[in-house]
Amino acid sequence: MMASLAANLNGKRCLRVSSFLVALAWLFSATPRRSLAGQAPATTVAAAGSTAFQWKKPAWAPTPPVPADNPMSVAKVWLGRRLFYDKRLSVNGTLACASCHQQAKGFTDGQRTHTGVTGEPGFRSAMSLTNVAYLPSYTWANPLITSLEKQMLIPLFSDHPLEMGMAGHEAELAARLAEDTAYAGEFAAAFPNEEARMDVAHVTKAIATFERTLLSFDSPYDRYKHGDANAISAAAKRGEALFFGERLECYHCHDGINFTDNYVAQGIAIAETGFHNTGLYNEDSDGAYKPWDHGLRDVTSRAEDEGAFRTPTLRNIAVTAPYMHDGSLPTLEAVIQQHYAVKGHAALSSRGPNPLRSEFIEGFSITESEVRDLVAFLDSLTDRNFMTNPGFADPAGTPSSSEKRRQHAGD
Amino acid sequence: MSGAKEYILLMILVCLPAGGATSQEAATDLKVQTVRIRFDGRLAGKPFACGKLYEGVGTPAVRVTPADLRFFVSNLELIDEKGGATPVALDQDGLWQYKSLALVDLEDGTGECRNGNAAMHAEVTGAVPRGRYTGFRFTVGVPFELDHLDPTEAPSPLNMTAMFWTWQSGYKFIRAEVLVVPSQAFPAAAEAREAQTQISAEGVRSRGFPVHIGSTGCGGATRTNAPPEECAHPNRTVLTLQDFDSVRDVVIFDIGRLLAGSNVTRNTPNTAPGCMSGEDDPDCVPIMKSLGIPFQGAAATPETVFYGERK
Repeated sequence: MMASLAANLNGKRCLRVSSFLVALAWLFSATPRRSLAGQAPATTVAAAGSTAFQWKKPAWAPTPPVPADNPMSVAKVWLGRRLFYDKRLSVNGTLACASCHQQAKGFTDGQRTHTGVTGEPGFRSAMSLTNVAYLPSYTWANPLITSLEKQMLIPLFSDHPLEMGMAGHEAELAARLAEDTAYAGEFAAAFPNEEARMDVAHVTKAIATFERTLLSFDSPYDRYKHGDANAISAAAKRGEALFFGERLECYHCHDGINFTDNYVAQGIAIAETGFHNTGLYNEDSDGAYKPWDHGLRDVTSRAEDEGAFRTPTLRNIAVTAPYMHDGSLPTLEAVIQQHYAVKGHAALSSRGPNPLRSEFIEGFSITESEVRDLVAFLDSLTDRNFMTNPGFADPAGTPSSSEKRRQHAGD
Repeated sequence: MSGAKEYILLMILVCLPAGGATSQEAATDLKVQTVRIRFDGRLAGKPFACGKLYEGVGTPAVRVTPADLRFFVSNLELIDEKGGATPVALDQDGLWQYKSLALVDLEDGTGECRNGNAAMHAEVTGAVPRGRYTGFRFTVGVPFELDHLDPTEAPSPLNMTAMFWTWQSGYKFIRAEVLVVPSQAFPAAAEAREAQTQISAEGVRSRGFPVHIGSTGCGGATRTNAPPEECAHPNRTVLTLQDFDSVRDVVIFDIGRLLAGSNVTRNTPNTAPGCMSGEDDPDCVPIMKSLGIPFQGAAATPETVFYGERK
C-alpha cells in the first residue's frame, strides 16, 4: 500500500528514511508477534477464562506491530488504561498521562504546550495518540525512541523540560501503586508468568499496551473510502482533490493509511520514517529554528537535520488544535494560509523562507473557498466515536476486567 | 599491598557471585588481590554532603547547597611501573556494579538532594592479578555497548531512573547539581534576582545549576533504533592518576572545580538549565573544559575535576 522505497526522495531537505533495522527486527520476530496480536496466548485463556485480546479495527486496517516482549492481553490493556489516568505517576500527584492526552481532543490537550509539575513550561505540543501503534518512532523528532515503552520514559523521567518529575522516584512509585489494593491483582493478571513487581518496566509495558488499542478508523472519510459515497460532503470531496493534488503537495508527506509518512504495521517489511523541515522558522536566514528546539538535529547533531520534525497524522486533526510542534498556529486555516501556502510561516518574517525546508514546501495560491474545501476534507478525517469510546475513557468507577470476569464466572 | 587484611577481603570477595571463578578456585588462587577504590566528593575544598551550605562556588563566587552527585565509572585499570594496564575485575554485586561499570553515589537523599536516596556507594571493589601497581586509569561514563539498553529491563545500576538520559536513549554519565542559596552577604543577589526574572520570562529555571553529562548526537547515519555506532559526541573522559595507590589514596570529585568557571546564578536564556551537554549551550563551555571533554570544536584540555589524594 505505502511502503514505497522512496530512496529518490532522500535529500537534505526532505528526509525520508526507510528504517531497515526496525524492519529487520520486525521480520525476525514476525511469526510470534502475529500469533500474539490476533489472539491472546492459549495459556492466558486457559488460566483465567478471560477473553482473548482482539484488535478493534476494520478488516481492511493492518494489524499494528507489537514488541515481542510485550504481547497484547485484555488484562494488560485494562491495567494500562488505569495507569494512563493515574496521577500517582507524577512526583506531586498533579499530572497523569491523560492530563496532556485527553480523549475528547484526540488525546491532545488543546494547549500550545503543557506546564510540568514544577511549573516549568514545556516547549513542544502534546502529540495525538490516534493510531500511535503504527509509528516506527515517537516524540516530535527522535528516531532513537522506537517504542511507546521507551517514549513514556521522557515525560516520566526527563529533567528538561521537567514534565512528571519521577526521576529517582521509582521506589516511591511502586509504593504508591501498592497502596491501591486493586493494582496487585491487576498487575498479576497483566503479567501472569512473571514475578509480581510494580516497577517501571511493567508500568510502561501496560500503558503502551493500552495506547496500542487507541485505533481510529471510523471517520466519515473512512466510510466514504469503503463504500458509502455520501459519507462526506461535496466540499470535502473537492478538498480531497486539492489535498492529493500537485498544487498543494500535502500528500507527499501526509500519505498512507494514517496520513503520515511514518508508518509500520505487521506485514510491512520496511518501516517508513519521515522528518521534515517545513519552514516554520528561520531565525538567522540560514534556516535555524528556535534556539531551544532544533528538532531532529537535537538528537543527531547533524546540521542538515535542523528544524526537521516527524510528520504527524492528520486523523482527528480538526480536534487537536493548536498546530505544529510548538502549537504556534491556532487553526487549520492558519496552517494552510499562513504556513504552507507561503513557503512556510518564516516567509512572513523579515528573514524570508527557510532555506533548509523540504522541497515540497514551495507555496501555492489558494482561494478562500478552496481553503474551506480543504478544511472540510480534514474535518472528514474526524472519528467522533474515537473521542467518545467509553473503552478509552477514565476507568475510575467502572468495574475492572477481573471483576467482570468474576461476575461472568458467577463467583 | 599484600597482607592479612587483604586476604580476608579476598575471602569475602570470592563468596560473592562474581563472574568467572568459583569460590573454591579463587580462594586457592593467591595470585589475586582485591582492589578497593574510594571516591570522595568535595565542594569548595570541603567534604561534599547534601544539606550543607558552601560559600565561594563559581564565578562570581556564591553560596550553594548540593542537589546531587552521582557518576558512572567504567573500565577501571591499574597501571604498573612499566606503564602496563591491568583491568580491574569488578565485584558483581547486583546493585552498584555491573560488568566493567560502577555507579558512584555520593548523595544521601538529604537536604536538597530530593531526587536521591539514602543509599550511597563510594567504594568500587574488584580484583586484579597480584602485582605492583603505581597508577590508576578509569573512564567516567557508561561504555557505548551498555549505554543504549532498554533501561526499564536493564540490570542495576542501569535501571536507576535518576540516571536515565532518555532523549538520547542512554544514561547521564555525571549528575552533579547545586542550588544557589541567596543571602544578605550574597554578592550577586541583585544580579541573580534580575537573572531569574529575565529567565523565568523565557521559561527556564535558574535557581539551580544542574550538570548532566551524557553522549549526544546519537541519531547516527541510519536513524534507526539504538544507535548502531558511537554517538557524535561521546562525552566520556578517560582519566589517569599517576602515583596512585588504592590502599593509600582516594579519588576526589570536586564540584567546586567543575563549576569554577561557571556563573551558577545565571542560565543562558533558551538553553537547558545549567549544562545538560547541549552542543550549543554556552553554559557548557567551562564545564566541558574542566572535564577535559572536547566541545564546540575546541580540543580537550587536561581535566581538573578529578584528582588523587592521600586518605
